Amino acid sequence: MDKVKLSGRERMFKALKGEKTDRLPVLCVNQTATYEQMEQLGAYWPEANFRAEEMARLASGAYSILGFDAVRVPFCQTIEAEALGCPIKDGGSKNVPSPAAYPYKPDERPVMPEDYLQRGRIPELIQALKLLKEMVGDEVLVIGGIIGPYSIAGSLIGVTDLLRNSFRKPHLVEPFMEIGEVAGRLLARELIKAGADAICIEDMMASLDMISPKIYREIVLPWQKKLLAELQDIPTIIHICGKLDDVIEDIAGLGVTAISVETKVDAPKAIEKLKKFDRHIPLLGGVDAAHTLFSGNVEKVKSEVKKAIEDGYHMIAPGCSIPPATSIASLRAMVEQVEEGFMK
Amino acid sequence: MYFLDDYSGIFVRYDLKRERGEARAVAAEDEVMQNVIQCVVEGDTDNIGAVVRKALETKDPMDVINALVKGMNEVSRLWDEGVYYLPQTILSSDAMLEGIEICEEKMGKALAKKGVVITHTAEGDIHDLGQKIANALLRANGYQVIDLGKDVPVDDVVAAVKQHKPAMVTGTALMTTTMTAFERISKRLVREGISLPFVCGGGAVSEEYVTSFDLGIWGKDASQAPLMAADAVSGKDWRQMREKWNG
Repeated sequence: MDKVKLSGRERMFKALKGEKTDRLPVLCVNQTATYEQMEQLGAYWPEANFRAEEMARLASGAYSILGFDAVRVPFCQTIEAEALGCPIKDGGSKNVPSPAAYPYKPDERPVMPEDYLQRGRIPELIQALKLLKEMVGDEVLVIGGIIGPYSIAGSLIGVTDLLRNSFRKPHLVEPFMEIGEVAGRLLARELIKAGADAICIEDMMASLDMISPKIYREIVLPWQKKLLAELQDIPTIIHICGKLDDVIEDIAGLGVTAISVETKVDAPKAIEKLKKFDRHIPLLGGVDAAHTLFSGNVEKVKSEVKKAIEDGYHMIAPGCSIPPATSIASLRAMVEQVEEGFMK
Repeated sequence: MYFLDDYSGIFVRYDLKRERGEARAVAAEDEVMQNVIQCVVEGDTDNIGAVVRKALETKDPMDVINALVKGMNEVSRLWDEGVYYLPQTILSSDAMLEGIEICEEKMGKALAKKGVVITHTAEGDIHDLGQKIANALLRANGYQVIDLGKDVPVDDVVAAVKQHKPAMVTGTALMTTTMTAFERISKRLVREGISLPFVCGGGAVSEEYVTSFDLGIWGKDASQAPLMAADAVSGKDWRQMREKWNG
C-alpha cells in the first residue's frame, strides 16, 4: 500500500467512512486537557472552561502537543445543563465545572428557555469552536461535544433521583429526556454552524454501570435515536461509559457514525456484532484512561495500544475522559505506538 | 417455621429472565418478617413503613432490623452477580434505611454504634452512588456514617476527620477527571500528623493509584466497606489493611 502520510483530518474522515488509511487514527472524543498541556500553552482551568480564547488554545494541545488526529471542545459536561438553569461550581484550576445544585425536583416539568443559545457559556463555546477551527482546522478533525439526553436529565434532577424514577416512575423522566434531546440538538446545530467537522455525544449516565439494558432500551434509546435522526448530515460519535456488550447493537442501530467505548467492552465481540450492519461502524477506544494512561507508564500504554490494534479497534482512543494529571508522555505514546506499528 | 413456596413473584420485576445470577430464596421465620425482607429486596419504599410497623407490633425492633439487613444482603448479592442494577439497589437501600429509622424510633435510642466512618465523593464529582451504597451497607452493619456528600473539597474532608476522629475515611470517584483529589487529601492528613485508613474506590479509581500514596487502601466495591471498617475499628492500621486487601 502506498504510504502517503495523510493529515489527521483526512485520516479521520477516511476512517469514519471505513476507507483505508496510512495508519489508524488516534484521538480522544472526551475531554483532552491536562495540567502539563495547560503549562505549555499558558491556558488554564478555570478560565479555559469559561472563556473562548483560553478554551480554544487549551483544546488545540490535543493536536499541537499530543499529536492526536482530532481536537474537541468543551472540557466539561455542564454546558447544556447550565444554560437550562443548573447552577455551576467552577472547579478551580484542578477540576472541571460541576453542578452546584439541581434546578428541578424530579416531579417538576422543565422549561426550555427561549434564549437557550445565548445563556451560560454557550456563546463562549461556539466562539471557542470557531477559533479552534481557525487554529488547527486544516490539519485535524474539529469535534464539537454535546451531552446526551439522559446525562442532561441527570444534571437537572440529580443522578440518584433520575435512577430512582427511571425504575419506578419513568413517565416523570420523559419531560427531562425531551428537554435534554432538544438542548443537545440545538447546541449541536450551533457547533456545526460554527464549523464543527463532527459531533460527539457523551451520554455517560446511559452506562450499563448505571442502568439495566431494559431501562436503556425503554427510556434512553428512543431519545438518543431522535437526537441522531436530526444529525444525519454530519459524522457523529457516541460515547457511553461502562460495559456495553449487551446493548452494543442497539447503539449501532441509533444511526450513529462511530461508537466510543471503555476497555471493559469485549472489543472483538463488539466488532463482530457491528459487522452485521450494512454500513461500516468504527469502534473507538482501547486504552484505559485511569489505569493505563494516568496510573500506568509509557510501556503499559504501548502494550495496550498494540493489543487494541490486534483486537480490531478502528481508531485508538482513551476509553473515557483523560484524567487531567496524565502525563504528556503517556498520551504521546499512543500515537508513537500506532506509528511504529504501521511503519513495518 | 413459615417459608414462601414460590419466590418467583418477588423477583419477576427485575430483569431476571436474562440475568447471569440466580435469585436465591431469602426466608424469614414467618410472614411478617418475610414481608419486611421482601420490601427491601423489591425496594418498595411505598410499603416499607407499613410493613415494618406491622412487624413491630409483635417483634423486637432489633429482630426487625436484622430482617431489613438480611434483605439488603440479598440485594448486595444480586448486585455482585450483575442481576441488579443501580436503580433497584438505591431503592432497596432507601427502603432499608427508612425501616431502620422506624425501628430506632421504637427503641427510643439509636443503636449503639461500632465505630465512626466518614464517607465522601471526590471534589468535582457528583456521582455519589457508590458512596451511597457504601453508606447503606456500613449503617446496616452498625457503623455511624458521617456522610459528607458529593463534590467535597479536600479541606472539608480534612476538617471533618479532625473534628470527628473516625476509625476510617472513604473516598469515591467515578469520573477519571476527579480522583487526584484523593492524593491531596492524603498529603494534607499526613502533614497534619493524622494516620488512619483512607479507603478509595469507584469506577475510575485504580489500585495502582490508591496504593501510590500514604494511607490509601483500594476498595474494589462497596460491599467491602463494612469488612474494612471492622478491621479499622479493631485497630488495624492502614499498612496492615493495605497488606490484607490490596496487592
